[in-house]
Amino acid sequence: MNGAVNRPKLRLQGVTKAFVAPRTGHRTLALADVSLDIDQGEFVCIVGPSGCGKSTILNIVAGLDAPTAGIVEKDGAPIAGPGPDRGVMFQDYALYPWQTVQGNIGFGLNYGAPGKSMSQAERDARVAEFVKLVSLTGSESKYPHQLSGGMRQRVALARLLANGPDILLLDEPLGALDAQTRIILQAELLRIWGETAPREQRKTTVFITHDIEEAVFLADRVVVMSSHPGRVRDILTIDLPRPRDESIRADPRFGHFADEIWRLIRDQALQAIA
Amino acid sequence: MTVAAQSFSSRPIAAVARGVALPLVLLLVWQAWASTLPANTRAPSPAQVARAFETLAIGGGLVGATLQSLGRVMLGFLIALVLGVSLGVLMGSSRRVSRNLDPIVEGFRPIAPMAILPIAILWFGAGTPAALSIVAYAAFFPLLLNTIHGVSRVDRKLLQAARTMGLPLHARILRVVLPAALPSIMLGARLAMGVAWTAIIAAELAVGAKSGGGSSGGLGQMMFVFYAYSIDLNNIVVCMIVVGVVALLIDRLFRVAERRLMPWRI
Repeated sequence: MNGAVNRPKLRLQGVTKAFVAPRTGHRTLALADVSLDIDQGEFVCIVGPSGCGKSTILNIVAGLDAPTAGIVEKDGAPIAGPGPDRGVMFQDYALYPWQTVQGNIGFGLNYGAPGKSMSQAERDARVAEFVKLVSLTGSESKYPHQLSGGMRQRVALARLLANGPDILLLDEPLGALDAQTRIILQAELLRIWGETAPREQRKTTVFITHDIEEAVFLADRVVVMSSHPGRVRDILTIDLPRPRDESIRADPRFGHFADEIWRLIRDQALQAIA
Repeated sequence: MTVAAQSFSSRPIAAVARGVALPLVLLLVWQAWASTLPANTRAPSPAQVARAFETLAIGGGLVGATLQSLGRVMLGFLIALVLGVSLGVLMGSSRRVSRNLDPIVEGFRPIAPMAILPIAILWFGAGTPAALSIVAYAAFFPLLLNTIHGVSRVDRKLLQAARTMGLPLHARILRVVLPAALPSIMLGARLAMGVAWTAIIAAELAVGAKSGGGSSGGLGQMMFVFYAYSIDLNNIVVCMIVVGVVALLIDRLFRVAERRLMPWRI
């Protein structure tokens, strides 16, 4: 009984991932012995220098990559492959260029819960609902190449949410945007994520970023990784109050967390450019 | 002046006028040259070609022959489309399939469509099936190779995204692979239609020769009859012009279809 209550939503235990180059046979260790428990409704950011295996963790949880060793579980059951219960927002959004905004947002509705059992009219209504949620009303019939970077990012977010996944996996979703747009969309992301809702109603979220302040602003916990091979260096609990807005950036604790994370990755970041 | 000239050239009528001007001059030169020849010449002239066209078009069997050739091209093209695209999707998405089939495909590719004609006639006789098989063979390779190219270059992220949304394999092929490869497939289709139309004329010419101008039908056979029995160059030129015009119309249709099928690429 008690075990079920305390069971983490996601559990990674001793996860190791090695890639073997097909021609040379050269073996690269992307992840070494990564252990991490994530609770229901938690927003976890993973930061670290390039080459720390951040994206590999995401791909393993998504089921797109299998770990070389270790356990990956969701709700206590091993993850065997990709599924609509774990939605992914890719770094470059992976929008379908031949689909309109509407077509992209509704793309997965025929396949995963909750859209599978819906009638076409209900699906259309759901698409309209998410178009509105990400403020894209009026652009429904545009193709991705007609949209700005920020608008594409919203389409990708709407598609992710419309599929109703249990877990949100976001791989540097704001990375391609300019600094101002990023800051605006970070706050918007928290609003859409459901910051004001009670924790058990929020979506469990894993968010990859290389932006330290972004991680502090968004996360309940920040996982700091080190590279070559990718390991968990430290995990910080960001106990800043929610809902958060711009003013939180002026909070001395905000700066303290950012400094702490920077201290943890500085050496490797400096090594990388040396 | 420059402004006026620019606005003039941007009008569609002006564009048509410029496109027609040079052919018109050439026609006039041709007619002038033909009028210097003796009256009993076999050399074709524009005026005689025009008269021949009228005779052939009205009750001369030109329309029927054109439709027959066109029908064979369409059917042969469809066969090649189904085979080429399905095999192309298979070879483009699986490196193992591609490694095994590539030597066979590359081995057949240099064999010209006309080179399989003897076998086609022996197997299928001098009629539509032989002509169809040659058209399908000719159209198959551009479709196959362009489909492979398009499918092998589908963005992996788009396929991964589809898997995370729960699309099963057949849905990933129909809703991701094929639309992503469509520009390449359409290019292959245009090239295939071009060679199919070339191949049907050659096939009908050759099948016509084999059957003694008897049973095969089509524009190519019509040309063979004019060549072998009446040595009528004016009629042959009429057929040549019809071949060219139909090919041009088909290509225009493809461009319209491309714009309709791929509105996201404008």
